[in-house]
Amino acid sequence: MKTLQSILLAGAAAFALPAAAHAAPPANTIVVGLSADASTFDPAQISSRDNSNIAKHIFATLFTVDFEGNVAPNLVSNTDVSDDGLAYTFTIKDGLTCDDGEALTAEDVAYSFNRPADKALGFTGNTPGFVYTTLGFKSAEVVDEKNVKVNLTAKTTLALGMMAQVYIHCKDSYEKMTVEEAATNPIGSGSYRLASWDRGSQIVLEKVKDPGTFDTIIWRIIPEASTRTAELIAGNVDIITNVAPDQVPAIDASGSATVAKVNGTRRMQVGFNLGKGVEGMPGAKEIQDPKVRFAMQYAVDVPSICTQLLGTECTRMTSLVNPPNGNPDLVPIPYDPDMAEKLLDEAGYPRNADGVRFSIRLQGPRGRYLNDANVVQAIGQYLSDVGIQTDVELLEWASVYSPLLRTKEMGPLFFLGQGGVTWNPLYDMSLFSTPDGATNYQSWTDPRWFDDWKLAIDANTVEEARPIINRMLKLFYDEGPWLQLYFQPDFYGVSNRIDWQPRRDEEIELFAATLK
Amino acid sequence: MWTFIIRRLLQSAIVIIGVTLITFTALQMSGDPTYLYVSERATAEEIQRTREALGFDRPLPEQYLTFLGKLAQGDFGNSLSYKRPALDAVMEALPATLELTFFAMILAIVVAIPLGVIASLNRGSATDGSVMTIAMLGQSIPSFWLGIMMIMFFGLQLRILPISGHVPFIMPLIQGNFVQAFTNLPQTLYYLIMPGFAVAFYSISRNARLVRSSMLEVLSQDFVRTARAKGISEWAVVIHHALRNAWLPVVTMIGLEFGFLIGGVVVVEIVFSWPGLGRLVFNAINQRDIPVVQAAVVVLALVFIALNLIVDMVYARIDPRVKL
Repeated sequence: MKTLQSILLAGAAAFALPAAAHAAPPANTIVVGLSADASTFDPAQISSRDNSNIAKHIFATLFTVDFEGNVAPNLVSNTDVSDDGLAYTFTIKDGLTCDDGEALTAEDVAYSFNRPADKALGFTGNTPGFVYTTLGFKSAEVVDEKNVKVNLTAKTTLALGMMAQVYIHCKDSYEKMTVEEAATNPIGSGSYRLASWDRGSQIVLEKVKDPGTFDTIIWRIIPEASTRTAELIAGNVDIITNVAPDQVPAIDASGSATVAKVNGTRRMQVGFNLGKGVEGMPGAKEIQDPKVRFAMQYAVDVPSICTQLLGTECTRMTSLVNPPNGNPDLVPIPYDPDMAEKLLDEAGYPRNADGVRFSIRLQGPRGRYLNDANVVQAIGQYLSDVGIQTDVELLEWASVYSPLLRTKEMGPLFFLGQGGVTWNPLYDMSLFSTPDGATNYQSWTDPRWFDDWKLAIDANTVEEARPIINRMLKLFYDEGPWLQLYFQPDFYGVSNRIDWQPRRDEEIELFAATLK
Repeated sequence: MWTFIIRRLLQSAIVIIGVTLITFTALQMSGDPTYLYVSERATAEEIQRTREALGFDRPLPEQYLTFLGKLAQGDFGNSLSYKRPALDAVMEALPATLELTFFAMILAIVVAIPLGVIASLNRGSATDGSVMTIAMLGQSIPSFWLGIMMIMFFGLQLRILPISGHVPFIMPLIQGNFVQAFTNLPQTLYYLIMPGFAVAFYSISRNARLVRSSMLEVLSQDFVRTARAKGISEWAVVIHHALRNAWLPVVTMIGLEFGFLIGGVVVVEIVFSWPGLGRLVFNAINQRDIPVVQAAVVVLALVFIALNLIVDMVYARIDPRVKL
């Protein structure tokens, strides 16, 4: 009997110790469950959203974009723009420090801008790629200890918003490190420092200064959506991303967490490929006619797709610009299959004896966007219902879909979601900055749009460009190369013990999160 | 013995070259990986610059030969996603996978043999029927589904096992931190229970059936009858005479088991957030991170070959009829 008791006690002790590791997070700690690990903490190499969400807590930026989409100063106390708009001089706030203990000076800021642009280092992150290309970054130079000048190649109203994506890091520490060392030893200027990184498991940040409510932030890597949900309901994590719509009821009913839904900035569309990549394919000629494209907008029941397939109501698109920056006079095109049929008849594409007007292929990715495969199939059915016989083809994103997109051989119809912002309509519109631009996947060449684009970007402010912007968005509404669907809703699981608001732009900002 | 080992090592070199060639060709055929490493808005010039910087502009045979040359020096190149040596990323993830795989292998043996023996000794009974029903279930249930169900029941409802996560044991051992390793051990095992069982359930079922049929065959042979006739206890007959002969097929299976379990851990590692090689390779394939895929495949092939070599030698040791 005594032996049995000893065995039971030993067993209980063995399990009691590990069980303690699964208590809810302590009051000074917040735990976020992400689907993917960070790949690097080198500020010049960071490229994914999950990675940058963590990095933003380690590296401060000159400006930040707030919840309402306003660009606000962060590390700078004063901004001076040259008359030609090509030089921005920033005054750095007093008393700033780096994580290595040294004072943060203009020298660090200039270094932070110039290092990613150093071709010899061969960086391929978001800053040297997308940010600097859009910004037209030329160089950064130290004026004095507190002032730094950033030079651009062209005037742009996007400048401050783009600079809000450049991570400020500390020159002396980085000059002592190799590129490989910099990937795992971030020395930033933000509220938190990297305490540990167990690859594939978790990343722990420790608070070093304000702002920030929690002393510790733990980013746990949980790739499987149902496992993330289970961890949230069990109380082991406080926030999870990418909640699948079918798991929303389970979380809401758990009593320990709820789902926070936000209308994101990702613009979901069916693109009309008007270029040479699909020349000669069935349907490619027909969609060249703007009347056909406009008619097709009436054929798809977007509200039903949202409620039935995404589990929520969506914000409908009226253009490629995120609200509230769009043209206020435009209203979403309603679902009206009769109108679609009427307009297609008028465009010269009546139903044949077999009921088909013309055939076309619709391609879409599988597993890239929220419930994408089902949404694409539903769209294909709606189009077929008005006589456009639609052949739906679902493809793997990384190896098939994305390369076809790059070479502009998708479609003629293709389902796509493109990220946007809340702080400047011209950012969203810049997908169509040139007829042969990389993001003009539709190869749209309407000269009215591109002539107006030159005028819009030449304006000194967005307000000054507003009449042009509204004219362009009306043209996009009537004759644009998108079948406009919805802004993709994002679902976050949030523990009942914390108070936190998700952002529309997929950024996870924890500085203001608090315990309830 | 030595001739056998040398011959097997030479064969292994050919296998490794074949493995690298197939992996390299398959990944290249799926398109230009440059696009994964440039921004959505990259210009044609920027794309070309990146392609040249990453070496993707060179002819495929040249890329492959360059890879082989470096491979000989243990250099698989830098991971395109992690921006660090691919071999480092693989070796960092390997211990977690080995923990899971070895734990599953142990379960597959320790649980399967008694089940198989019990079923064979009670042939045709309710016990036999129950064991075989469980075995059939084990071979029918996909490991990812079993994993999710275990999470729901043991992790969420009963809350007696961790839902996901990993506590390392092998890595601290490799780093020479023995105190840390053995301090971690209870937690390592605790975190291993659910993923280990999810990986092992299929193998437990298959091995149990294998042991049962093998035992039934051996139990009907003359030497077992003779042993019983000599008055040896039934326990001794089963353990010392029957089982010793019956588990030879299981030993053969163990060598192959590793490759099978490695295949099974990919999904289980994702379900349980286990930071192992399966998950690393899965992500690398999705991102077409060629250096990581190649490094992982070569390392796994080496581990697989080494294990099979050991199994062959063990086989020769326990079965005197086998000569190497």
